[in-house]
Amino acid sequence: MAPLIALDGIRKVYTRGTLRRQTTFTLEANFSVDQPGIVGVVGPNGAGKTTLFEMMTGSNEPTSGRVLVGGTDIHKVKYKERDRLAIHYHQSYQVRHFKKLVPSAMLLSSPTERPLVHLFDEPQFNPQDGYIGFMLDFFKRLRDEGKLVFICLHPTATYHLEILSSIASHFMLVSGGKVMQKDSFGALISDERCRSYLGPQMYETASKLA
Amino acid sequence: MALLTAKGIHVRFGDRVVLEEVDFDVREGEFHGIMGPNGAGKTTFFNVLTGRVKPNRGSIELAGENVTGFPSHKIARKGVSRSFQIMTLFDEFSARENVLAALPEFRDSGFNPAKAVTAEKKWQDAALDVLAEVNLAEKADVKAKELSYGERRALEIAVATAQRPRILCLDEPTSGLGSDGVRRLSDLVQRLKGKLTIVAIEHDMSFLFSLADRISVIHWGQVIARGTPSELRENEWVRRSNLGKFA
Repeated sequence: MAPLIALDGIRKVYTRGTLRRQTTFTLEANFSVDQPGIVGVVGPNGAGKTTLFEMMTGSNEPTSGRVLVGGTDIHKVKYKERDRLAIHYHQSYQVRHFKKLVPSAMLLSSPTERPLVHLFDEPQFNPQDGYIGFMLDFFKRLRDEGKLVFICLHPTATYHLEILSSIASHFMLVSGGKVMQKDSFGALISDERCRSYLGPQMYETASKLA
Repeated sequence: MALLTAKGIHVRFGDRVVLEEVDFDVREGEFHGIMGPNGAGKTTFFNVLTGRVKPNRGSIELAGENVTGFPSHKIARKGVSRSFQIMTLFDEFSARENVLAALPEFRDSGFNPAKAVTAEKKWQDAALDVLAEVNLAEKADVKAKELSYGERRALEIAVATAQRPRILCLDEPTSGLGSDGVRRLSDLVQRLKGKLTIVAIEHDMSFLFSLADRISVIHWGQVIARGTPSELRENEWVRRSNLGKFA
């Protein structure tokens, strides 16, 4: 069976200037996830977490490489049907729109009705309102229904680390233009890049949770 | 038995998925609360239930009849009545005339709010009965615009109940009310409970947790949790939060 998601030689390059092109951003990703689960994604601001999610859900075309969701190249599927494969729950008001160069009629239909992959981009976790508990249960329910869940989180409070360490079974660190897979919370925070991104105080909290 | 059932409701506005897959049911006589963060899709879901928005996929059954895609006036005729987040009253008409205009027998005789002044006595009495139910009988002849905010909220509910609905849908009924107003509204809903089937979107958690039989939590266009108030409170994060206080 095809992996739930596979990023095959993905590379995204942003440039500026017309005559003298200068590269302003690069992101490379090469990974696949076969089994349902919950993946925690962390990384500094501007590292490309949202760009990664946009490529995985088919709104932002990679410069090269393919994103296969359940074996289907999501960028070859009709625009309005891509969220039947992988759906991006954006940060509020952060939806970016991209040019649609190929007419939808020339694209494929989605083979699935409901998304296989759910990507939550910095969900608002507010410990005061109690929704966190329902949100975490929902992520687990999706996983138990055979879905793959990605949660992008920018840890700014202790409970963010608590959430990440308790709910995710795999982790990804987006940093320095690369996406690195980590098998455990311990492996994630022991990476020097993650450690410096967290800062000494958050790192200390994180190491107690690992 | 479920009086209203929604299955697999999917709604998109252009590129944006607003409701991904909502399953929902409300039983006869039940008060079913809906809560969720802003922008979660609660009002859109209400609009689907009341026929204002046609779902892209999914079905709605009312008392066993498939009413998916029915326009709002047909759904209303079948007994689904609603209030709005933003109040919709005839400001220049009295409380009684607002209720009269919503009475089915009056409406069926040709809708014209201006006719309210000459309406038959039995209709006037019926309107007064509805106003008495929401404690507005004494203000029957006061213009809607001259009522206090809390009274206007109560009048909205009176207008909705005047239609003798099978299901009353309330969109944030406590919105803008002070603690006194919320208390009066709680008393009113408590009186209506059991007589009517009620679905209410609400941000005021103490209101919802004290009155609802079941609560559905909508987020990301999906029902992420559902249960009785005590079932929802079992969640560890809920107990740690402000919601836990409403035990």
